[in-house]
Amino acid sequence: MDTGRGQTEGRVPLRELGDAGPPGRTRGRRDSFRKARRMSNWTAAALVVGTGAGAAALAHQSFTATAPVAGTAVQAGGTATSAGSTGASSQAASGPQATHSVATTTASGVTTTTTTRTVNGKTVVSQVRQAPAQRND
Amino acid sequence: MRAAAPGSTCAALWQQVFTGDEAVAVAERAALGTTARVAVWPPENLGMACATVDDVLAALDQQASRFREDSELSWLHRAGSGIFMLSDGLAEAIGVALAAARWTGGRTDPTVGDALISLGYDRDFAAIDQQRDEPPAAPGPAPGWQLVQLDGPLLRLPPGVRLDLGATAKGMGSDRAVHAVMSATGQEGGVLVSLGGDIAVAGTPPRSGWPVTVAEGPDHPGPPDPQLFRLPGGAVATSSVTCRRWRRGGGMLHHIVDPGTGRPADGPWRTVSVAAVTCADANAAATAAIVAGHQAVPWLTGEGLPARLVGQGGEVCYLGGWPPVSGLPVPVPSGGHVYAGARPPGGVR
Repeated sequence: MDTGRGQTEGRVPLRELGDAGPPGRTRGRRDSFRKARRMSNWTAAALVVGTGAGAAALAHQSFTATAPVAGTAVQAGGTATSAGSTGASSQAASGPQATHSVATTTASGVTTTTTTRTVNGKTVVSQVRQAPAQRND
Repeated sequence: MRAAAPGSTCAALWQQVFTGDEAVAVAERAALGTTARVAVWPPENLGMACATVDDVLAALDQQASRFREDSELSWLHRAGSGIFMLSDGLAEAIGVALAAARWTGGRTDPTVGDALISLGYDRDFAAIDQQRDEPPAAPGPAPGWQLVQLDGPLLRLPPGVRLDLGATAKGMGSDRAVHAVMSATGQEGGVLVSLGGDIAVAGTPPRSGWPVTVAEGPDHPGPPDPQLFRLPGGAVATSSVTCRRWRRGGGMLHHIVDPGTGRPADGPWRTVSVAAVTCADANAAATAAIVAGHQAVPWLTGEGLPARLVGQGGEVCYLGGWPPVSGLPVPVPSGGHVYAGARPPGGVR
């Protein structure tokens, strides 16, 4: 590989810092280089920080999207313990109180209809399960 | 007591259900040939949740329905064999189905489409003539999921293969829906989505977990009694041979096909419920357990999945920490399977 600085045929070598320039312009040029270098360093630093922040944001987004794979680990005792699919499972204690069934897992195709009525002052919740009669929509 | 759900775009489809708890809002609608149900807190998020689930269901139906002429899957089947560029949503759905087949050792297999058609399940279930006298065409084993090659959005479909994504699509739809709802509501509160009994939850659950019932189909009102349990996270799904049944040639058929024979599965378990970290996992595992027959218990045990199996005579077997009494939480294991071999769920439309 040719690295000779004197062989510049057809090319314009980049001037390195400290190279002599025309008399009377050296100091100003050096100041300009220093200023440019400082700005360049700041720019590079900003790029590094920005890239890092962007990567962190993407990683967070990716984690959120794939969280079900990693999963919500729940011990047999019952409290969600880890990486909930939305990152909110650690706040399980802050959820509301719910005592009545909100859904039924059953054979595919079974329609479960929940009705509530008041009998003698008490709320009675009943569920009726039947095969659906409607077509796909 | 029913009333229209709040939300301008979903009021016509959704019916609000009052369960007795004011802190959680619940609504349901007919969808995908069954019932979709949403439970959400805070209750003010119900309208947004319903609208979001509508979008997910519409996209899923458009991508993966075997019964819609205008679905992407039907277009593939009409085109026959070849190499196709799929939408992201259908690519994910087929990828999940193939990953489930790999995980379950082929007990679920998306290439059972032809077998289901030959058995008579060739249209939306509600439209099937359930009392025809002629026997079904003699089905054969499914061609095999290994023949289907998916590389990103590129699908290679060999000749004579029709896909049915029934073992995973609803579970995947529930996974998509809960993530889409949490995204739409700014990660506020929590949500449960059930598609035909395949249930996923996300966000913060009610204290001790979402109260959910596991029950047999309407044709089996006897034992075991419905059981209330708590779902603190993850998902639960149920597969059963007690529903989606029809008669052909004097015999009863159902929709869970053993890929090895092309015939309806005929094992010792009539209903299997499985809890898993994702609903696609739970959906695939429940169907695989029905097909696995006597191998279901060792397979589920080996996978560490909590499960409730109901035998043909009504006897119940609890595995993996599924509580044998009502009111307790079901443990949800960490570590998923089907999305690891496919694209992750993320509300892909």
